[in-house]
Amino acid sequence: MLTSYNSILTFNKIKLFGLCLIVLAFSCEDADYDLDNPYDPTNMDLDPPALFFHPPEVSTSLGESISVEVYGLKLDSSAGAHFDIRYDWGSVTVDSVVPGPFFTGLNDPMEIIVDEQGILDVFIYFLPDVNSDQSQSGTWSIATVYFSTISKGESELLFGPNTTLRDANNELVTINEYGSGYINVE
Amino acid sequence: MLVIRGIIILHLVSFCLATETTRSVSMKTGNQLAVLEFEGWSISEPLTKFLTEEFRETIRELEIFQVQDQGLTNEISIFYPRKKNYWACWSEDCAIDLGKRLKVNYVIAGNIQKKDLNEFLISGRLFSIDMETLIDEFTMNSSGITDSLLLEMKKMAYNVSGLPVPDTLSVGTDTSEVATTGDIKLKRQWFKLPPIPTKIKALMMSTAIPGSGQIWVQRKYPGYGFLGTEATLGMAALISYYNYNKAWGGFEENYSSYQNGTDPHILEELRPKVIQYAQESRRYNSFMKSIRGVAASIWIVNMVHAYLVAPSDDYFDGEYFFDLEYNPNVNQLQFNFNF
Repeated sequence: MLTSYNSILTFNKIKLFGLCLIVLAFSCEDADYDLDNPYDPTNMDLDPPALFFHPPEVSTSLGESISVEVYGLKLDSSAGAHFDIRYDWGSVTVDSVVPGPFFTGLNDPMEIIVDEQGILDVFIYFLPDVNSDQSQSGTWSIATVYFSTISKGESELLFGPNTTLRDANNELVTINEYGSGYINVE
Repeated sequence: MLVIRGIIILHLVSFCLATETTRSVSMKTGNQLAVLEFEGWSISEPLTKFLTEEFRETIRELEIFQVQDQGLTNEISIFYPRKKNYWACWSEDCAIDLGKRLKVNYVIAGNIQKKDLNEFLISGRLFSIDMETLIDEFTMNSSGITDSLLLEMKKMAYNVSGLPVPDTLSVGTDTSEVATTGDIKLKRQWFKLPPIPTKIKALMMSTAIPGSGQIWVQRKYPGYGFLGTEATLGMAALISYYNYNKAWGGFEENYSSYQNGTDPHILEELRPKVIQYAQESRRYNSFMKSIRGVAASIWIVNMVHAYLVAPSDDYFDGEYFFDLEYNPNVNQLQFNFNF
């Protein structure tokens, strides 16, 4: 009985040291990585705070519906925005604009859309709630624009000079850089 | 009448055949002998040791038994640790148990008593380990000085070996032998592997489990030291590995999400996490590598230490793997090996 108990103890010791030996003998892999995702804002060469289209390039077929997000990079808190978006109205048409999470608090934001001959004016306003009277800061999607393709060709998306963001005090929010986008209809 | 004759003849024939087919079965046993250190009553320990070793040497010279080396026999305390020394082992059970542990065929245990001022009584018992019995018991009276005691020990060696005591040794002593066994049935001797030297055994043990070789050869403090150090390093490595594994899991999960992600908001959040987990995993991996280096060094030191501190043994004459000895006949140092 004593012998078998000793054998069990010895076996357990051997197991423990075997485990230690394995741990000591094997070296683990070092983390090797490339942060080269093209959608990573850091890789976009934009000087924040900035506005850009996401994705920056869209390839599609004729008659298809596509969506492009208007994105803010490291924006300060804002209460309202006016986006002056220029597009090739002979190539694509605007179907709808849906507000993103940037201006969404406890209440959904209010939006006004004016689409006239290649100029899309989007007005989005943060509706104050008990927590805040303006949006949170950071990198967020502000709005998603849905287009339909009507002819083949390349269409450039640009922010016009009237694009502005204002905070709860009606002060202009600084935007250092504006990105551009492309829609390629094949 | 014919039937009766037939039966008688049949019985006779069967009896004759039965006699013819009966064989005398005898089994051989080895002749390896361990002489336990004699117990000294009222005489000094160094003298007892000296006399025991003299007794051992005499039996070895007589070449009837292969006598186990003193150092190896004394290692019984490794297998059978007791407060007092093993030589108090006078009973059959104890002697047989020790004999089995020492892997010998015979064990001699004895004592030397000082009866009067100049009178000594030397008693010895020869045990057969294979038969698990007491074979012979010897008692000798000696009067006088140490030289006389030595003489008596030598005579006892002759008695134990079953050889007649030469005239040069028989100087007025009283020797009596008590035969305790008659017919001896020997146990079967199976194939035996050659013995592993203690140093090699200690080395192998410490290679498998650090410190175990030292503990086995009674160097407990260094043994536990190596064991504890390696265990501590092992635990540190385990904790480090656990943390590394956690960091690596986080890295893999976040990096995979980063590579496959398309949402800039999520990618912006993932980026610092990927960097953080990668740094953590590198740090823990580097720590593990350091521990591995230190532990491996200590492990090697432990192995060398185990080999060095283990007692060297001559083992049985002619049965050791190898032996370096001086041969006076050819006046040369000879290297002998046997397997």
